[in-house]
Amino acid sequence: MDARIRSYLAKQFGADDLRLSAVERIAVGWSHETWLFDATWTTEGAAHTQGLCLRRDPGNALLREMSDLRLQFRVLSCLDATVIPTPRPYFFEDDADILGSPFLVMEKVPGTCPSPWGRDGRAFYQAAADRGVLPDSFTDTLVQLHTLDWRAAGLEFLGVPDAGDDFARREIAKWRALIDASAHDVDPVLVDLLCWLDANAPATERLALVHGAYRTGNLLIDNDRVSAVLDWETQVIGDPMYDVAYVLSDLNREGTDLLSNLVERDAFVRRYEAGTGIQIDLDVCRYYQLLYGMRSAAFWMSASGLYATGRNRDLRLARTEWSIPVVLDRAARDLGY
Amino acid sequence: MTPDELLEQIAGTLRHQIGPEVAEPFAKTQAFMASVVLEKLSRQLRLADAHALADGVDNTTLVHDVRVLLGSDASVPMRGALDAVEHHDAGRALGRLVESLYAERDTLGVERFDALLGRVRQTLRRRLDRQMEYAS
Repeated sequence: MDARIRSYLAKQFGADDLRLSAVERIAVGWSHETWLFDATWTTEGAAHTQGLCLRRDPGNALLREMSDLRLQFRVLSCLDATVIPTPRPYFFEDDADILGSPFLVMEKVPGTCPSPWGRDGRAFYQAAADRGVLPDSFTDTLVQLHTLDWRAAGLEFLGVPDAGDDFARREIAKWRALIDASAHDVDPVLVDLLCWLDANAPATERLALVHGAYRTGNLLIDNDRVSAVLDWETQVIGDPMYDVAYVLSDLNREGTDLLSNLVERDAFVRRYEAGTGIQIDLDVCRYYQLLYGMRSAAFWMSASGLYATGRNRDLRLARTEWSIPVVLDRAARDLGY
Repeated sequence: MTPDELLEQIAGTLRHQIGPEVAEPFAKTQAFMASVVLEKLSRQLRLADAHALADGVDNTTLVHDVRVLLGSDASVPMRGALDAVEHHDAGRALGRLVESLYAERDTLGVERFDALLGRVRQTLRRRLDRQMEYAS
């Protein structure tokens, strides 16, 4: 694989002497395959080194139905000229003859992305919370996202909801499609949740670029600041409260009172409202938290369905079959069961 | 040895004897996950008969209570859903019953809708509690 990547990049950069070093494969299994490496070459006597990240579509990744690498490349291309910290995209190839399946090459941004659920990651974010710089950067980056002129950035291709409750209905329909494609029977609690969401869809007061999974673990951190927003797979033009609801939820707190195990709630609310001029609507957030519950169920149904239908033989996916009742239990409590 | 005991024993073998001998990280994770899956299956299998019995009792009581709450107002879809809960695949039928209630929300009025949905949710809550015995 390294030789094929090297050969491809040598052609792209017009440098026969291109070499790869510090090659590291990450994110094995569930999502797109990812390699990090440094490319070094000379042009007209001058040496160049560029850190790069290559993501390849294994053909059976989670959420593949919702976001492919071509879409990610397009979103990153639109965001490259904006204030949103994102990796600069360089190449997208859908020719499977090159590396076996479609892939994109983008900048390797300095920073780390500790898993928020592991012991080391928990310690990392708790220490950063104590220092107090990263919590503000976390909030400020969300402010940047939600105040971005997404039309000027060329992101209308993501789809622009109509006024009223169109955004919520689009999201319900999108994730319902994942449920229907999962080869699972729909649990009656999930039926209740879907019906409740349909019956209570809120009107959207303003539209913003919504990341769709804004949390630690999807953010690259460098020197206590967010150096890149990652995982552009669930982004949408929609209600900014959708992201805020996710940040405010009990998810990802790792047993602490801190949002994403990082940000004090009141400080987040104050800074977000001051930065965006948007007043957080807790009733709407409660709705979207239930929508995230439906999303979680859809996600796990899709994951276990990948294993059950033989499209992916990773046993971690089989294990997610029992995550479905767990997320439905949370949703049932939120519904008032 | 019962089937659930056999599964549990295999899970233990994977976790304590096979897994530790596997050096490659991905394969080691797979061995561990296989043991987790078999443990879950074992527990689910062990509880299956008791859960089926409890589900049956709950569903029968639910159908009776919903029929009382509806009186003579049960629509054709609602009657069909109740019959299905009583006699057929209860999981899907409970979903149909919930859908029928939401579809007839305006006809039922807020109070009756809330009372009926609240009653269905009691049954769904107990059903979910049973699932959590092996899922969590």
